Amino acid sequence: MFKMRSRFTKTGDLVFISHLDLVRVFERAMRRANIPISYSQGFNPHPIMAFATALGIGVSSEAEYIDIQLDEEIDVNEFISRLNAVLPEGLKLLKSQYVAPKAESLMAILKRSIYIVKVDLETPMEEDAVRAQLSDFIKKEEIIEVKEKKKKKGKGGFRRDRDKNKVQETNIRPLIHELIIFSLNGQEMLLKMNLAAGSVGNLKPEIVVKHLKELTEIPLNLESVRISRLESLKEHNGQFVTLMEE
Amino acid sequence: MGKLAIHDLLYKVEKPARYLGNELNSVHKEVNDNTIRFAFCFPDIYEIGMSHLGMQILYHLLNSKEEVFCERVFSPAVDMEEEMRKNKIPLFALESREPIKEMDFVGFTLQYEMSYTNILNMLDLGEIPLYSKDRDENHPFVIVGGPCAYNAEPIADFCDIIILGEAEEVMVEVIDAYREFKNTSFSRRSFLEKIASIQGVYIPSFYDVTYKDDGTIEAVKANNPNAPEKLKKRIIQNLDEVFYPEEILVPYLNIVHDRVMLEVFRGCTRGCRFCQAGMIYRPVREKGFDRLQELTGKLLANTGYEEISLSSLSTSDYSNLDSIVRHLIDEYEKDKVGVSLPSLRLDNFTFELIQEIQKVRKTGLTFAPEAGSQRLRDVINKGLTELDLTNAVEKAFGLGWSSVKLYFMIGLPTETYDDLDGIKDLAFKVVDIYYQTDKEKRGKGLNVTVSASTFVPKPFTPFQWEPQDTLEEIYSKQRHLVDKLKRKNITFNYHDAKTSFLEGIFARGDRRLSRVLEEALKAGCKFDGWNEHFDYNRWMEVFEKCNVDPAFYANRRRAYDEVLPWDHIDVGITKKFLVKENEKAKSGELTQDCRTNCSGCGINNGFIGGIC
Repeated sequence: MFKMRSRFTKTGDLVFISHLDLVRVFERAMRRANIPISYSQGFNPHPIMAFATALGIGVSSEAEYIDIQLDEEIDVNEFISRLNAVLPEGLKLLKSQYVAPKAESLMAILKRSIYIVKVDLETPMEEDAVRAQLSDFIKKEEIIEVKEKKKKKGKGGFRRDRDKNKVQETNIRPLIHELIIFSLNGQEMLLKMNLAAGSVGNLKPEIVVKHLKELTEIPLNLESVRISRLESLKEHNGQFVTLMEE
Repeated sequence: MGKLAIHDLLYKVEKPARYLGNELNSVHKEVNDNTIRFAFCFPDIYEIGMSHLGMQILYHLLNSKEEVFCERVFSPAVDMEEEMRKNKIPLFALESREPIKEMDFVGFTLQYEMSYTNILNMLDLGEIPLYSKDRDENHPFVIVGGPCAYNAEPIADFCDIIILGEAEEVMVEVIDAYREFKNTSFSRRSFLEKIASIQGVYIPSFYDVTYKDDGTIEAVKANNPNAPEKLKKRIIQNLDEVFYPEEILVPYLNIVHDRVMLEVFRGCTRGCRFCQAGMIYRPVREKGFDRLQELTGKLLANTGYEEISLSSLSTSDYSNLDSIVRHLIDEYEKDKVGVSLPSLRLDNFTFELIQEIQKVRKTGLTFAPEAGSQRLRDVINKGLTELDLTNAVEKAFGLGWSSVKLYFMIGLPTETYDDLDGIKDLAFKVVDIYYQTDKEKRGKGLNVTVSASTFVPKPFTPFQWEPQDTLEEIYSKQRHLVDKLKRKNITFNYHDAKTSFLEGIFARGDRRLSRVLEEALKAGCKFDGWNEHFDYNRWMEVFEKCNVDPAFYANRRRAYDEVLPWDHIDVGITKKFLVKENEKAKSGELTQDCRTNCSGCGINNGFIGGIC
């Protein structure tokens, strides 16, 4: 049993396919590329693979990661070229390497993601003024995200009192590690964000933009938001490095 | 107009992957002045339309021709339609993102009557005049085909060309004829006259319908010298030689039938009297084992699919079923490719085969007795006995199954409450058989699902003259079954009778219904096959406004000598045969499978020249 870890990009029209669609694309691509993938046991055998995290629909990424389990060892470069030959335009493996079969999962090691977020201003604003607003925002100790948690209905369609939708409040401020202006050209602004990601804490950039609009004077146009993930990071000897760095 | 900018819309709608048009094996062509452009429209959402084998065949067939570019169009979901109308984006073809009004042909497949309003809505969204008579030389030809085309009268006024029968040859002939007209200044009429004599082509505007005082049809007469009085359907003689795609579109989204579909034969020899497909797709023609073997290899290699289904009207009747299933398992088990066999009949249920299949992927078990009592099963010529069912179920439970689905219809001609009680008795028997099965052998957690759909009489079946049960009758029958089927381990599902009522109206409708459809579109009716969109009261208001009585179409018994709206269409089986079958139904007399004994339906007179 061999475990191949790869970094790939998801761009172009492929940003519009969901995480589940992406899983199917990989499964079928591996069949067409004749990759000797391992299958799960049971009545519905599935190729054994695992992603670092799911990317939202509409979000592009330069830094997606996948582990694929193989029955036979094949040459890394051949793996990359065979798979890239059959993957659709918009999905591309950049780098692959074998990791120890028992290596910690991508999902477990992922700690942070860096994003570039494009958002338009509804009316012009001076860069210094925007910067000041951002700085006020980041100085806050608490930024509360209210999330309604949908509970499943009780058996038989009866709703019990405790099944009522619960409201969950999370302070997202500690999940924001960096929030800066990358560029401001006219009314088009690019923000750079370094946010918590992975199984411990995960914050989506669109949530940050939503709170920015609520808590600051920056005239953000929420419909214009376009997000791209630039990098995914793990912690290694106190440093944050990309998921495939040793 | 060129390529439409839809990119920003995709961020706003649910499942934007429906509108990308760049799926695996999709075809993109350079367009020049000679390119004949065809928009293949499926009047339902992407996940339904992409599951349709006919679309996959015709898409790749047309694109295999030089200078023909066939693209796909589905009904945009409600949210996408809203965005498109708001942003003034007309209906476009997925591959090029160019408006369908700029194409040479806009084709619709007529798979079910409840999609008619979607067709009109797509024309409206595509900025194409609804009525054929309102289109001019700047508009595409609207061409339709599929099972409902055999009685497309309710939408005939909206169509320029109707294709009768299997389209692989006749579509190419129509397009070849068009090639001579393309880039010349021609009148629409001259092109339609040119193709009117091709077998399988029906130009509805070349026929006039007159009515009697009682509302029935007096006559359907050709009004153009190029139009034949009787219109014959087209069939493909040799299924091994006919085009079949070697690569099919593979969607990103999870669609309804997400697998390689391998057509093993056309037609059906069983002769069930309620079944329109069993009548209109005659005669039976098979693909040979060698051809299937060759296609399978290519299709799996070109798609990467993990499942293949052998498709036909009655797959267990395929002569080489055993060899092809064994071949699929021997060859592809290592790749974990699952095999699914839909529409197996339980009377020749080959358990050994099913067990083989289960080695790779587990599937559910479905039986379709269709009617609860032996008497009623004889009426509909479903040559299947209770013993067949109990034997099969006994065997299935003994092999570890614990979940069984039973399909029935209610509202069949001559049905009484005793027949309904038969449904209950069968379901209870299945439960009893489970508990009589050795505990060690049977699976855990018995679940018997009983589904009852409402019978809709269809054209070209022996029941085409029969009244459909009224809504009140169906409701009362459904309530009866709900009461009777209250038992642990039994789940009872039944279809919405109102939808079936509307289906019944349009299935046997005539040209006077086109105005109803136009008004229904104005009233906002669309996606009528979807419970969450179907609005029965709105429909009834439309009928009232148009002064059309729905019961005239759905609940009226026709006389054998009445001129039916589809009488000018020849599907190969004679009216005499259908009358004979209806009479035999009344006396519960069976007709043999025509592989065993020719039932004299007439298909071997003129269509295949001799024997089936």
